[in-house]
Amino acid sequence: MTRPAPATVRWLILLALLVFWELMPRTGLIPELFLPSMTSTLRVLVADWREYAEALMVTLYEVGFAMLIACGFGILAGALVGGLALLRNLLLPVFSSLYAVPIVILYPIFTAWFGIGSESKILFAGVYGFFPVMLSTAAGIRTIDSQLLLAARSMGATLPQQIVRVIIPASIPTVLTGLRLGGALTIIGVVVSEMLTSAAGIGYLVTRYRTILDSAHVFGAILMILLMSILFDLAARAIERRTLTWQTAGRREKETREARPATPVAAPAA
Amino acid sequence: MQHVANLSASRAEPAPAAVAVEGVSHVYDGREGKVPALEDISMTVGAGRFVVIVGPSGCGKTSLLMMMAGLRRQTEGAILCAGRPILDPDPDRVGVVFQEASLFPWLTALDNIEFPLALRRAPREERRRRATEMLNLVGLQGFGARYPHELSGGMKQRVSIARGLVQDPPVLLMDEPFAALDEQTRMTMGHELLRIWSQTGKTVVFITHSLTEAVYLADEVLVMSARPGRIIDRILITLPRPRTYEMMATDVFGRLRDRIWQQIRKAA
Repeated sequence: MTRPAPATVRWLILLALLVFWELMPRTGLIPELFLPSMTSTLRVLVADWREYAEALMVTLYEVGFAMLIACGFGILAGALVGGLALLRNLLLPVFSSLYAVPIVILYPIFTAWFGIGSESKILFAGVYGFFPVMLSTAAGIRTIDSQLLLAARSMGATLPQQIVRVIIPASIPTVLTGLRLGGALTIIGVVVSEMLTSAAGIGYLVTRYRTILDSAHVFGAILMILLMSILFDLAARAIERRTLTWQTAGRREKETREARPATPVAAPAA
Repeated sequence: MQHVANLSASRAEPAPAAVAVEGVSHVYDGREGKVPALEDISMTVGAGRFVVIVGPSGCGKTSLLMMMAGLRRQTEGAILCAGRPILDPDPDRVGVVFQEASLFPWLTALDNIEFPLALRRAPREERRRRATEMLNLVGLQGFGARYPHELSGGMKQRVSIARGLVQDPPVLLMDEPFAALDEQTRMTMGHELLRIWSQTGKTVVFITHSLTEAVYLADEVLVMSARPGRIIDRILITLPRPRTYEMMATDVFGRLRDRIWQQIRKAA
């Protein structure tokens, strides 16, 4: 018997989970209050699609601006910290330890300063996503192979040319990883802050329906957040793949070469 | 710049040297104060010659090469390439090939070779044409669209050589270019380098740890002492050209290699 492909297994697991989700509440093994069935979740999503759509727009708007802040300032600060030894020695230890702090404890301060509207979410999630972007940008610039810069100099590259033609392309892979991580964190930041204090957004729906014990609506909101995160991750990975063809082009080729059946060693010499 | 003026007066040789190193010393700041790295090095490399520098590890041969490339500044003395002092990297006069293939992984082989031309904003067509020419010269026809990680070690160094030659500099500096290659590839690459050298007529300064490689490639071998590096011997390799693999088994080859080895042992 041949082993099924990993992709097939993954889909089967997902299918099993969905079946489990549907059957457990239906058979009464888990009360609907704890786990509403898949169909009842989907039903409220369809019935109240307008409410969910409005909440989603608010959340997406906040996530969009938060990502702009996280990526923009993260790349800028990371480039400065990674490129200038003085700043690096001063700031990198501070930033690295700040990254370990649960920044969510600062959220009440954000609401005090910026109110409970979108501004506080955007700024909070922006700060939340800023750190991985900044740290990986700094790391990407710091870990550039010095041989590459030496080679560029030997070919007469000026400092601006070294930056544009060597430092930036060489640090793109690590920066992109940071963007994917930072983007995911801004989504978390927005949703969490919406859950804590707000009057709109998907996170707000989760909190509101939870307080009135409407599990189907809570799960509907959770499902949307899940989809949003997964879609973001897929998009980010697609961008990484497209940008980094030079990393994957050969690997794909190698894989196909290795996947080919080996030529028989003792082939008859005729 | 005083020493430069002195130099041009003293340089009254008939054939202008492609590279002239005049009284170069170098001292760097180490943990325990000043460390003399190079001590009063003078040498000339005639145009079109193939000169190999050998010496114990840490003797400063790479530093010397970096100075010839204008990538590092010596504390004393002057280095002239094509008659003019070299103060900054100048790819029109000096091409450099490094030990590790220092190709840009995000560029294809052809784009890597074009890189020095792109820096000077040469017209696109001209760039393509030159780079393709170089690619063919190093025997990589049809591999221009490959990325470095899709090439073998030897092929990568071929691309590096092509890149070093793309601006047609009279001098090619090579810092242990084949050190990371396996023995067989290394032999092939040495042979290939001699073919490229005889086709292009470049002046080559080549650093290696391999004595066989030194004798096989060189017109002359310069032996450097341990730190502070000085040139302690200059050995002319009188083997006829073109060199063949069979020569390696001859007595002359063995004696030359032995002499270099004796010098290095003394030097270390």
